[in-house]
Amino acid sequence: MKNKLSRILGKESVAGYIFIAPFIIGLFAFTVIPFFTSLYLAFTDYNILTPPKWIGIQNFRRMFFEDKYFWTSFWVTFKFAFIQVPIKMLVSLGVALILSRNTKAIPFYRSAFYIPSLMGGSVAVALTWKQLFSYDGVINRFTALFGLAPVKWLSNPGTALYVLIGLGVWQFGSSMLIFLAALKNVPASYHEAAIVDGAGPVRRFFKIVFPMITPIFFFNLINQTIGAFQAFNSSYLITQGKPLNTTLYYGVHLYNRAFTYYEMGYGSAMAWFMLLVIAIFTALIFRSSSAWVYYESEGK
Amino acid sequence: MKRILAFVLASLMLFALVSTAAAEEPVTLRVLWWGSQTRHDLTMAAIEKFMEKNPDIKIEPEYTSWDGYWEKVATQIAGGVLPDVIQMDHAYLAQYSKAGVLEVLNPYFESGAIDISDVAQGVIDAGKCGGDEVYALSTGTNALVTMYRKDVLDQAGVEMPMEPTIEELAELSRKVYEATGHHNSNFNGFDGVRYYLRSYGLNFYADDGTSLGFDDPKYIADIWQGYVDGTKEGWIKDVGELSATTAFDNLIDDYWAGWHWTNELAAYENGNGFPLEMSLVPVPSDATVPPTFFKASMYWSINSKSEVKDAAARFINFFTNDTDCFDIVGIDRAIPISAKIREHITPNLNETSQRVAAMIDYLGQEGKTSPIMPPDIAVHSQINALLGEYFEQVQYGMVDDLTAHAQAFINEANDIIAKSLAN
Repeated sequence: MKNKLSRILGKESVAGYIFIAPFIIGLFAFTVIPFFTSLYLAFTDYNILTPPKWIGIQNFRRMFFEDKYFWTSFWVTFKFAFIQVPIKMLVSLGVALILSRNTKAIPFYRSAFYIPSLMGGSVAVALTWKQLFSYDGVINRFTALFGLAPVKWLSNPGTALYVLIGLGVWQFGSSMLIFLAALKNVPASYHEAAIVDGAGPVRRFFKIVFPMITPIFFFNLINQTIGAFQAFNSSYLITQGKPLNTTLYYGVHLYNRAFTYYEMGYGSAMAWFMLLVIAIFTALIFRSSSAWVYYESEGK
Repeated sequence: MKRILAFVLASLMLFALVSTAAAEEPVTLRVLWWGSQTRHDLTMAAIEKFMEKNPDIKIEPEYTSWDGYWEKVATQIAGGVLPDVIQMDHAYLAQYSKAGVLEVLNPYFESGAIDISDVAQGVIDAGKCGGDEVYALSTGTNALVTMYRKDVLDQAGVEMPMEPTIEELAELSRKVYEATGHHNSNFNGFDGVRYYLRSYGLNFYADDGTSLGFDDPKYIADIWQGYVDGTKEGWIKDVGELSATTAFDNLIDDYWAGWHWTNELAAYENGNGFPLEMSLVPVPSDATVPPTFFKASMYWSINSKSEVKDAAARFINFFTNDTDCFDIVGIDRAIPISAKIREHITPNLNETSQRVAAMIDYLGQEGKTSPIMPPDIAVHSQINALLGEYFEQVQYGMVDDLTAHAQAFINEANDIIAKSLAN
């Protein structure tokens, strides 16, 4: 008996399963099961307190035709993504270019620029941001030194979203680090050959460096786009969608519906619609990639 | 491979050990509440005392501020991990009792597990939702009052009447602003509207809960007009100049007054560092009914799915009848509901609490209050947010015709209520 058990456990495949069991259990408990549960809930009326009731596509009909905040939040999120992602890509690439040079102070700056990303999702950073931009916050006190009138950054419908975009851009560290690794991978011999041929730095960037790092650019672009569509923290913590719903992210509206008003079925439907939107955008970026992403191994 | 076997067997043994050990430990009772830091400290101390007197119960406290409390509760219900004892509010009682989340307390009263012999019937009734079932037992009686900074008023050389009218308050606010630069608000939130309506014998919601309790947009428009006038005169801060981040710190701004529940006096004084005085909420000068009501506050409820309901009942009994408990918590959860406890603690109260007790006594006189309205309807939080949104548009100067705007709110709110009932 003991022999039999030890023989089963001794099999390499069994040992393998045991080792990956924690991950598999986690995957099912926290991803797969909630994933399909939310798909089911999207077609129900579920207020948490009583069991879900099947209502077919009612949630989706309400989303598209009745919920006045749905499209508001949808466009806010679009605007947020379309402004934040390009700026963040440019800033992270720019900083990575500066930091890819080798001087003594560089390791310090690399860490310093990465720190905001480490704390990026945290509540503390968002609240600090809120304090910075509040009416009697640091920014307004600083500009007051130069005699400028205080600006209502967070409560002006015209500026609030941009303050949040600024916070997102400021957390460029992780994409910068990835760019940095890619830049380091561009062979020095290419640069040397180009210099010999008389190419200046700008030309070298556009003709050599950028084409070489396009796969990484592509990777960052997809990650950042998905991240921007899922944005939640900054609005929830700083503005709660105010003023006048100009910062009402899709994620915040979803959260309000699901957790403040207990409309879990509706919240699930919204989540699935967002999944679809993100999938479409990711697919579009993938489709476009053959036109601009350069893979060395393909010899294009 | 022997190692793997040994590892698996060892972990099985460990697991078995842990589970037998758990069986002999005292029952675990999870208690959830919201509140300020002052309340957290006091409640934790009271819980220590309870565990000392009840060694067979081990309490796991969970607490948070009011912001986020109901989201937490909802998430815990969805996850099936709602604590055994939960602090409940009048505004949510209807919603939760209807959904079967709350245990009916009547059997515990009958068995004496929760002793209510020293509690007035009116307080017990406040935990009912239409029927005879009691779903929650309050810990104390409260009233909403104006809390104000006398130091600011002294500086301006003015005095606050004990029972101010809305017009008087606006006049005072103007004077204080001109003399000291301190701002005020005109009591314009949901409660502001509620009390304004109550001044004319109306309610925000109809008693049967099927619509708003008023048709005339004038009431809301009046409150909004007060806000618009106040900002024009300067004594109400323009939207966006506020730096308060939560409901709790609006006196941290340069405001000299705010509307708060009597039991919160100590918390506000501690939190803001200013001594505060109290007066009644402002009423319109042509009010027909006193709008102030006694609110049975900070109810305790038992989770209907709890496995340790008896322990939960003992905890609630402790928080209703045990002098040891109130020697610690005092009146943080408002003036105690048990007459015996009230008698016991009054002489020992500190100065702040004595003032709260005196205020409750003052309101207890004939003609200072009117009866409380039925618990708020299930979609109250949604209506509350909607009113906030309509008001925000007023704050941003986007509304020319306040009456039409108020009418639009009434229509939309009634629509939401009707839809919620249709399901």
